[in-house]
Amino acid sequence: MKILVPVKRVASLDDEFELRDDGRDVDPDFCEFDLNEFDEYALETAVLIKESAPEGAVEVVVLTIGPDDADDTLRKALAKGADRAIRVDDADLGDADRVAIARAIAKVAEREEPGLVLCGAQSSDFGHAQTGMSVAALLGWPRVAVVSRLDYAPGTATATVERELEGGLVERLEVETPAVLTIQLGINTPRYASLRAIKQANAKAIESLAPADLGLSAGETGGAGALSRVRRVYVPERGKSEMIEGTPAQQAARLLEIIEEVQG
Amino acid sequence: MTHDDLTISKYDLLFEPIKIGPKVLKNRFYQVPHCIGAGSDKPGFQAAHRSIKAEGGWGAINTEYCSIHPEADDTHRVSARIWDEGDVRNLSAMTSEIHKYGALAGVELWYGGAHAPCMETRQTARGPSQYASEFESLTYCHEMDYDDIRRVQGFYVEAARRARDAGFDIIYCYGAHSYLPLQFLSKYYNKRTDKYGGSFENRARFWIETLEQMKAAVGSECAIATRFAVDTLIGEEGIEVERDGLKFVELADDVVDLWDVNVGDIAEWGEDAGPSRFYRQGHQLSWQKFVKQASKKCVLGVGRFTDPEKMVEVIRNGELDVIGAARPSIADPFLPQKIRDGRLDDIRTCIGCNVCISRWEIGGPPMICTQNATAGEEFRRGWHPERFPKKGSDDSILVVGAGPAGSECARVLMERGYVVHLVDSAEKVGGYVNDVASLPGLGEWSYHRDYREVQLTKLLKRNRDNQIALGGKRLSVDDVLNYGADKVVVATGAHWVADGTNCLTHAPIPGLDGARRDNVLTPEDVIRGTKPIGKRVVILNADPYYMAPSLAQKLAEAGHQVTVATGVELGRYMHFTLEAPNMHRMLHELHINVLGNTWASRVEDGRIELYNIWGDGHKRTYTGPGKMPRSANTTHAWHEFDTLVLVTARRSDDTLFRGLKARASEWDARGIKGVYVIGDAWAPKLIADATFDGQRLAREIEEANPQEPKPYRREAAVYGSPYQPGGSYEIRYQG
Repeated sequence: MKILVPVKRVASLDDEFELRDDGRDVDPDFCEFDLNEFDEYALETAVLIKESAPEGAVEVVVLTIGPDDADDTLRKALAKGADRAIRVDDADLGDADRVAIARAIAKVAEREEPGLVLCGAQSSDFGHAQTGMSVAALLGWPRVAVVSRLDYAPGTATATVERELEGGLVERLEVETPAVLTIQLGINTPRYASLRAIKQANAKAIESLAPADLGLSAGETGGAGALSRVRRVYVPERGKSEMIEGTPAQQAARLLEIIEEVQG
Repeated sequence: MTHDDLTISKYDLLFEPIKIGPKVLKNRFYQVPHCIGAGSDKPGFQAAHRSIKAEGGWGAINTEYCSIHPEADDTHRVSARIWDEGDVRNLSAMTSEIHKYGALAGVELWYGGAHAPCMETRQTARGPSQYASEFESLTYCHEMDYDDIRRVQGFYVEAARRARDAGFDIIYCYGAHSYLPLQFLSKYYNKRTDKYGGSFENRARFWIETLEQMKAAVGSECAIATRFAVDTLIGEEGIEVERDGLKFVELADDVVDLWDVNVGDIAEWGEDAGPSRFYRQGHQLSWQKFVKQASKKCVLGVGRFTDPEKMVEVIRNGELDVIGAARPSIADPFLPQKIRDGRLDDIRTCIGCNVCISRWEIGGPPMICTQNATAGEEFRRGWHPERFPKKGSDDSILVVGAGPAGSECARVLMERGYVVHLVDSAEKVGGYVNDVASLPGLGEWSYHRDYREVQLTKLLKRNRDNQIALGGKRLSVDDVLNYGADKVVVATGAHWVADGTNCLTHAPIPGLDGARRDNVLTPEDVIRGTKPIGKRVVILNADPYYMAPSLAQKLAEAGHQVTVATGVELGRYMHFTLEAPNMHRMLHELHINVLGNTWASRVEDGRIELYNIWGDGHKRTYTGPGKMPRSANTTHAWHEFDTLVLVTARRSDDTLFRGLKARASEWDARGIKGVYVIGDAWAPKLIADATFDGQRLAREIEEANPQEPKPYRREAAVYGSPYQPGGSYEIRYQG
């Protein structure tokens, strides 16, 4: 039985940053990249299920969509207990949205036939919380979002999950497998990798696939396969202040100008 | 304008030059005279420790107090000395190293009066009147007549000439901390009725004349400074700032180029070098700020200034012209450069623990610093506070424990380029410091943790292979053996014992050696608030530092009725850190009952049997085996408590280390080249020493046996070579 954990290499911004020339994203030179924190919890959930099962009964497969820079992210996941890693390299990735990404994930899921797909509830950089749900929709599988507890015995037909609701309420659901679950922070304590695990992860091969290998056509990936398009990323203008200088007469003149400006 | 430009302009004021006599101070960062244990006899230590600060951007750097004559011999404490050509040669090392960085070198010429016991020279100090020192035991001075006064003033002048020849730019006449010039000025010491006593003008005469003579001798080449306690904090019996203090500044202003002003005396000089337990940054400004009203010259003062905002404010408000610093310059010799470069988060902020000072007070061991493990190690170990040798191998290193030793070790290893995994079961870096810093008055001690936490976070970004794993389960021996690290550093700390084991009996206290009682607490229990505490608290203490006084304060302030029964002098080490006087005042104010010379024979539920440790007979007789040589102690009495707190001893948490050691035969097969232990896990020690352990191991990890320190370069007299030019070294007798 397999558990598929799609992971994302997310960006965090430096103190100061610049936007890309086309104004549709941050210049990657000003970003730090790391494994999405939500995905760490999803991965730990998968690894805990594996560890609760007999040796060899569960295989945890991690997957990411991205260029070979993203191998670091996969190796981190391997070091934390994943057994195998797949990267789908999409040359047209830059304009992909959640749905375009989900198409690739769904294709891998069809190929791997996992009992569970465990996604992070959202990505820490964009926070759409749509990829996991899109994967479920494309596969036509049951799905539960923002899971805070999971009871699942590998190979069984159902999993019991809990979600935290408003007012401290907890919703408990039984869901048929295979299913797609998106995992909330705090469901467990993700482990740190030991030096041995890191060394072993670095020695492992990462399977690299092109969209075509998965039977995806050009129109289904990247910008062409996206249902949305980023028009602009920008920092909204903040309130301004101005030190008015000069002689009293000059200052008064400038003050009048500002009043007229504000009044429109 | 970028962020960096803003930073620079904001603190520009601190980098403006200022003229002092014939010299120009390049900025407003000034290392005032402070002791380090080098003196004139360890010239390498002296030159390296002072010049590292010149490299770090300080505008001027001084010696410690520097004796002008064998009549001012402070042995057992270590001063510098400028008695002869040998001293000139040795101190020249310091001035020439400082000058390489464009900084000024200063010397604080000192004559102690009765406060200097002259235990090496066997001379007798002279003073304004004959008095017994309130600071040193059993020393009286000889009351000077006019010949003596001229003679001693001559000592100052000769010393000033030698200081000039040694290359000093700033020459002090040291009159703070109750030393000779102030003894003349203060009615507390000066009982004379001649022209050097009585009226203010007469009491000021010795100091003024001495300054005039020094200025005449060297004033065209060197700046003349004086360090002046403008208020001795004992009311009108001493100096009060708005009376004799300002009058003296006005009177002496023409012959002084630089005023270095503070408050207090020598017996309680913690009022000047205020520990953070009692005093915040700038705590002397209420007195210091008057001086600029009376002086046209450059005025500087200390106050453990570490924050550039505060420094700018003090100068802009006209309170001081120059920021004096001793402790902040020890904790971070690169403080000025970091401010100039806008690297404020890289500053190792002084925590105000005064452990640096403790070494002088103890009587001479080299100074140490809790924050800066390289302080005092510049010359003898070749440690630079900001530079680290490149790693000597590709070994990966697991550090277990992120307390003072572990976090420092991991930091330095990462600085050296090693791949390091730092693991701690606590949620936060800091270990024992996190407990200690939560005690009353010790909040600033958390800067020790903050510095390491910030640096480690940066180092993680620099090399993504580094890892800090906090809040997980404690690593077992198997976890460590299987971790995959080439080398393992165990820094698992220590704990306070719960069975009453102590330094007096070296055994548990009967009644505590079995199962733990709910109403018997360790310091950790009190600090973490994990157990209820009753109204009547007895603290049983055998620890000579701050823990028992701190817990007594915490509990008394929380409304408990506190008795401290102590078998050792309560807070003995706090004499050395200058915290003792105000600690005792505070215990008194809080109605804490201190039972000294007291130890415990047994504990039962809700009561403890105490006895006077001197309660057995003073006569000693041999009466056979199994019998005590003294008559029985009959002072035992029961004391009731609701809660008993045991501050009796700490014990290393060394289970992991010993477990790993026991399986040393497996290391090779698991790729482990070595397992080392540092800090409290090796043996409980000062935070400063635990931090040192971490730095030391990180710098020596490639050595064949890094568990044991490499020998350091010693500075000692060399037989076969005379100290004095033209002197001799052979054994020679008179007659």
